[in-house]
Amino acid sequence: MIGVSKMKPYTNVLDRPLSKGKLEVSLSAFAFLFSELVQYNQTQVDNIAELERRLEDAGYAVGARVLELLCHRDKGNRRETRLLGILSFVHSTVWKVLFGKVADSLEKGTEHDDEYMISEKELLVNRFISIPKDMGTFNCGAFVAGIVRGVLDSAGFPAIVTAHFVPMDGQQRPRTTILIKFAEEVLQREARLG
Amino acid sequence: MIVCVAVVGHQNNPLYIQSFTEADDALKLHHIVHSSLDVVDERVNNPRKSGPTLNETFLGLLYPTENYKVYGYLTNTKVKFILVTTDLDVRDADVRNFFRRFHAAYVDAVSNPFHVPGKKIISRTFADRVSTIVKSFGLSSAD
Repeated sequence: MIGVSKMKPYTNVLDRPLSKGKLEVSLSAFAFLFSELVQYNQTQVDNIAELERRLEDAGYAVGARVLELLCHRDKGNRRETRLLGILSFVHSTVWKVLFGKVADSLEKGTEHDDEYMISEKELLVNRFISIPKDMGTFNCGAFVAGIVRGVLDSAGFPAIVTAHFVPMDGQQRPRTTILIKFAEEVLQREARLG
Repeated sequence: MIVCVAVVGHQNNPLYIQSFTEADDALKLHHIVHSSLDVVDERVNNPRKSGPTLNETFLGLLYPTENYKVYGYLTNTKVKFILVTTDLDVRDADVRNFFRRFHAAYVDAVSNPFHVPGKKIISRTFADRVSTIVKSFGLSSAD
């Protein structure tokens, strides 16, 4: 129905017309859904590594679909074949669509050639989550790591992606870093492309 | 007249093949689609500097054979769409438009949380949308 949409004050929220997409979803609704997801997975597994793996798998499915969707919506799209190209795509476009802002920083790892890091002062998914002491180094950002892995894998850059807490001096809550380690074939291809 | 459309995954596995004429042998169409995959790979791996710019999605006319023309389209995830048609005069804009709508239907089918990536697309909605797009392609290019 093309036309001017009048915003009538609806008494019942269920009577409101559906949003056309590309709009925002309420943060509390997402936080609620995400907490339920984490709790459900927690009842199914015995240890932390398994829980992280399950969250990452959930994120992987999202990442694969997000890549298809973004490439279709972005009109003048070119297929990314270079490493820096796909990394900046993840760092700006994917982050903007998912979280409403670009990621805080993108860095190249110093020790190894194949490591890159995307860091964020506070991940949106972690905003309402506090990790109990006995869970150790578990990070619900594993979900976001899964999304990044899904995007990279579907674009042809297989990688291992993990999420880590990095304590910063001067701030209460530690910064979150997504560590991306590319597979050997990606580096070889990149070297061949020059 | 569009004879066949196909969606092929990034490991060249068929995800969806649909033919729109009863007359032709389905196997022959499978064979045509399969041989056109080689042409796609060749275009992707040896970019011709004089041709279209690198990393375009629409690959254009892949090759004409007997009485068929085959068009190709490559998405960002290396999923290929193949279109086989018997029309003699097909406008470039029409084919691009067709692939754009086809891509939209494909994205919707893949966004289904019950779809396993890499397996065949079994959504009936997708099949209906594709038939609608194919029917309207024939009408729009018949001036």
